[in-house]
Amino acid sequence: MRAIPTLKISISGVRGVIGESLTPTLLTRFAQAFGTYVGSGAIVIGRDPRTSGEMVKQAVVAGLLSTGCRVIDIGMCPVPTVQLLVRHRGAQGGIAITASHNPAEWNALKFVGPDGLFLDAGQARELLDIYHQGQYTRVTDADMRGVEETSGATDLHIRAILEALGPLPHRDKRLRVVIDACNGAGSLVGPKLLAALGAEVIAINATPNGLFPRPAEPLAENLGDLCAAVSEHQADVGFAQDMDADRLAIVSERGVPIGEDQTLVLATTYVLGKQPGPVVANLATTSALEYVAKRFACSLFLSKIGEVNVTEIMQRENAVIGGEGNGGVIYPRVNFARDSLVGMALVLHHLSQSGQTITECVNSFPRFSMIKEKLACPSDKIAVVLRMISREYANYPIDARDGIKVILPEGWFLVRGSNTEPIIRVVAESEEEAKARDIVANVYARVQACINS
Amino acid sequence: MKPLKIGITGVRGVVGETFTPEVVVAFSQAFGTYLDRGRILVCRDTRPSGPMVRAAVFAGLLAAGCEVIDLGVCPTPSLQLAITRLNADGGIAITAGHNPSQWNALKFVRSDGLYLNQMQGEELLDVFHQGEFAKATWDEIKRAIQYEDPIEHHLEVLRRAFDVAMIRTRQFKVAVDCCNGACSRLIPRWLEELGCEVLAVNDDPSAAFPHRPEPTPETMAQLKAVVKAGHADIGFAHDADGERLGIATESGEPLSEELTLAFASWIRFKEKPGIVVTNVSTTSTVDLIAARYGGSVVRTPVGQAYISEAMSEQNAILGGEGSGGVTVPEVHLTHDSAAAVGLILEGLARTGERASAVAKQLPQLWMLKHNVPVEPNRLYSVLQNFRGAIEREHLEHDLTDGIKVILPEGWIHVRASNTESMIRVIVEAEEAATARDLLDWARDRLKK
Repeated sequence: MRAIPTLKISISGVRGVIGESLTPTLLTRFAQAFGTYVGSGAIVIGRDPRTSGEMVKQAVVAGLLSTGCRVIDIGMCPVPTVQLLVRHRGAQGGIAITASHNPAEWNALKFVGPDGLFLDAGQARELLDIYHQGQYTRVTDADMRGVEETSGATDLHIRAILEALGPLPHRDKRLRVVIDACNGAGSLVGPKLLAALGAEVIAINATPNGLFPRPAEPLAENLGDLCAAVSEHQADVGFAQDMDADRLAIVSERGVPIGEDQTLVLATTYVLGKQPGPVVANLATTSALEYVAKRFACSLFLSKIGEVNVTEIMQRENAVIGGEGNGGVIYPRVNFARDSLVGMALVLHHLSQSGQTITECVNSFPRFSMIKEKLACPSDKIAVVLRMISREYANYPIDARDGIKVILPEGWFLVRGSNTEPIIRVVAESEEEAKARDIVANVYARVQACINS
Repeated sequence: MKPLKIGITGVRGVVGETFTPEVVVAFSQAFGTYLDRGRILVCRDTRPSGPMVRAAVFAGLLAAGCEVIDLGVCPTPSLQLAITRLNADGGIAITAGHNPSQWNALKFVRSDGLYLNQMQGEELLDVFHQGEFAKATWDEIKRAIQYEDPIEHHLEVLRRAFDVAMIRTRQFKVAVDCCNGACSRLIPRWLEELGCEVLAVNDDPSAAFPHRPEPTPETMAQLKAVVKAGHADIGFAHDADGERLGIATESGEPLSEELTLAFASWIRFKEKPGIVVTNVSTTSTVDLIAARYGGSVVRTPVGQAYISEAMSEQNAILGGEGSGGVTVPEVHLTHDSAAAVGLILEGLARTGERASAVAKQLPQLWMLKHNVPVEPNRLYSVLQNFRGAIEREHLEHDLTDGIKVILPEGWIHVRASNTESMIRVIVEAEEAATARDLLDWARDRLKK
């Protein structure tokens, strides 16, 4: 097989490596396809602080303007701010320029529809068809529009959160928070929001320069700086964002990462206590969430993986909260988007209201151990692997909506091909860490053997 | 045929048809590659497609690893002057100059502020066609675009080049039509610094072109009216990017664009003897004025780069073309309508002459211009046949650019257009009837 390309065009957008596959020509064509797809009108664009962000933005602006769109450039901001602004401005759509957790050499376009949601699978396929057909709308002279540069978008986002949740209730001692923004899109807005809520803020890695101080995924092993800062400052909580500020991980007052799958559980505990209602999460989310929903007698709906799949069911079920186990919290009173800013506000409100520490909160529901592994897999083998799993575990309940999820007596596991990289992910969860490891080891070995066969 | 013209003077086309973001991105990548990255200045005129083209240029230059400084909306000569001051390696002016609003173009400027010459233009095209562009990686790519306004510096250079104090004493009343182009940001301010009372029309850079941005008598009706109603001493008409200038005298008479250089030459030769550089297509009025004052004229092929280079070699006192472009070497070696305005007002101030009086002193010749449409693949064989006919008849001719036939009663210049699929025929003679005869004579031979 030939070398694996660094360009990934999929229903989640277009993603590639700067200086290699993600060329300005490709980007401007995608923007033309999007302008053609949504029709001429206002388009909101925003970007994370990657070094290539300006180049990518200019290519996108050229493409959009050539199709007669008017561009509202909201500058450097979290992805959920783009989604919020699309609805706020009544725009035809939005483009978020970010490769979220991918390393610094990557960048990507994510497409937002007029409802502020990412394009769903069907819409994304229509966009791809237009891109591939290459017949884009082209306007002449008098139908050309310009670029409106606006700087107030993140302040508007902060106001929306404060209006929905209010400031923290007054306590004798303010909550002390350390935030690690990964020098990302949340570098400026995160600390500002926390201060506006009434917390005492210590910010680290909060220079939005596109240089990654740590790997962007807010996984436990990447949060050494944050853990140390929480201990040093004797803070009540540490928050870690990823590059585009949609995901949130939490470090306890003891300086220990609680696992990014716990973020949604904590936020949900607070929301259901205030406003019981349906909860939606993807099928790879921890079973702790099911426990919390049951405690408040609320129903939990599981969706396919991917923000747009969660938000689709949230709208259908009129959910009060939703999200994903990777630290993505979706709170519809602010925005139908994974939003680390909303996540921080919900968690702080929960601490403030309950008077508990993070450790006490986490201990109030059963702990599950989730183990994640990935292995390289050529694209032609992914379907083979999935067929093998469903055959070998045919005696157990199986959910085949997105990869293969198998419910075992001692827990569950999921085998799934990535949308963005040529890899297979194996995730397992059980109440005991040893059992989760056993499940992963067993499944991993079978998948590996299948790939090699 | 859809118009997209890729040539040594740059790339030019109609936006919404052939001048797509992809073409602009690729040309900008090629230019960034050709200059081996480096610092590049970018400016634009006021066309509605300017923001689109600008974004595509930025994307291409950044992707190639260039450092980009955006000068915003300004005349092309303002960019050319900024190149050395900002220590830049080159520049891209986004403007289709005198073409109508739906056109746009990229003009490429090198590190000395002059346009790429023929050889360099061909090298750039080779890079473009080869399509293998420099690609900056994430740790090489420039993170931001810088912004800089070049107008103040342009004014400063202009002030140093002319006797501002003397011009101010005359308190000229000047009408000006900026065609809502890039000159709207420069010319009214420059005239005010020269102590003029300014009657400006079409000086809103956010508005559409009120007429074709080509300063010819046909587009100067409004200027003419303002000159007369306002009792102005002179009227100036500008193109979209500050290269070409048209003149209306205080009586409201718009002069042919061919006479802008002649007018400026009269002023220069009154001041000092020397060499004026122009192209082979420009009116012989310039030669007659030079002869009257003991100066001389050097002729080049058509195109600004040739004028600039010849002026530098000849240490010329003035340069220009029949299109209305004038180069004043004290400012810089490129067409600059603001410099032309300074030179003309300085000359009127020094001599005390009225504009109409100067116009009367310019020898009157009859010039006729005619275009013969030819299929693109036959352009050069038609020219070769014409040349063969001239050589068989043993007529005196000049092959500097196309074929210029020199006859006792006048001249005929035949060349392929740089921008359209046609042969341009220009004739000039002392009498209208002679000029018509010469044109018939040329068309006759082109048919054969």
